[in-house]
Amino acid sequence: MYTLLHGFYKYLTQKDEYCVVILGLDNAGKTTYLEAAKTKFTKNYKGMNPGKITTTVGLNIGTIDVQGVRLNFWDLGGQHELQSLWDKYYQESHAVIYVIDSNDRDRMDESKVIFDKMIKNDLLSGVPLLILANKQDLPDVMGVRDIKPVFQQAGGFIGRRDCLTIPVSALTGEGVDEGIKWLVDAIKRHSIVRPPRVND
Amino acid sequence: MGGVLSYFRGLLGSREMRILILGLDGAGKTTILYRLQVGEVVTTIPTIGFNVEQVTYKNLKFQVWDLGGQTSIRPYWRCYYSNTDAIIYVVDSADRDRIGISKDELLYMLREEELAGAVLVVLANKQDMEGCMTVAEVHHALGLENLKNRTFQIFKTSATKGEGLDQAMDWLSNTLQSRK
Repeated sequence: MYTLLHGFYKYLTQKDEYCVVILGLDNAGKTTYLEAAKTKFTKNYKGMNPGKITTTVGLNIGTIDVQGVRLNFWDLGGQHELQSLWDKYYQESHAVIYVIDSNDRDRMDESKVIFDKMIKNDLLSGVPLLILANKQDLPDVMGVRDIKPVFQQAGGFIGRRDCLTIPVSALTGEGVDEGIKWLVDAIKRHSIVRPPRVND
Repeated sequence: MGGVLSYFRGLLGSREMRILILGLDGAGKTTILYRLQVGEVVTTIPTIGFNVEQVTYKNLKFQVWDLGGQTSIRPYWRCYYSNTDAIIYVVDSADRDRIGISKDELLYMLREEELAGAVLVVLANKQDMEGCMTVAEVHHALGLENLKNRTFQIFKTSATKGEGLDQAMDWLSNTLQSRK
């Protein structure tokens, strides 16, 4: 009897869990974005002061519950020597968030090169992709209109997956809501191919 | 009642954070502890047992436990695991021969239920030595890419020169504060 009730309780409370990996060059704003997302979707959570966020060498994790599912974020370090570690996470990722510093025109090509490398990886084929043109709070930055064509050159590899490019400011939190909600819908659509993470 | 008490305690200031410094023998754990506490390099001998000190960093109080790292006393680390907020895992970046053992000990330790909520800081220590491993090499050698449910960060440090420790403590205090 207990087992039955316990099972029923678990059925009611359990949420499907999905993993989202956050990638991009160093200083693109990945950790700040994760903090902004946590602040938006977690009650009573006071995010880390953005001024105190330093370069990530390692992993930051974050969990948010949104629209009946649980998202686990992996925010990885973006420095050159750490990029080789990204693909260790691909197999278990249900979505990719790629963050771009819209203010850094000099490194746009560099960002595109690693983006292409990432998108060509077979382990990520078909996985929903959210591209963020970050730092839109700064004056005179590149807009989505300028950035989208650069990253669409790899169109063949983006293929038929769900892909959205939006402007955000991780610092002010603008656009964070919209992106995450789109991502959840895309992940749900794709869950036939990549089912939620199994927890025992 | 307990809730009321902890509410008032919250008003009075934060609780002391409990931190364990672990790692193989000779990695530099004791040197790091005293570098944090008194700000200088002290002469150390291999720790049999533990050293415990209160360290104040930017108004945050830490209770730091430095446990001996020799093979025979590593099994006793687990006696100290409960209520730990963070683990500082020290690696001798110049000791390529024993990095494998260091990895095994780390993975074995992180499997413990009591440490499930603890933040991990890896210090790639002894960066002043020639031919030492880089951060990426240490990351790879410790198999850190397999840690998918824990926030962690690696720093390169030189305890004798005092380099990198401030960054590590900065990150640690920010992360622990925002987790509350």
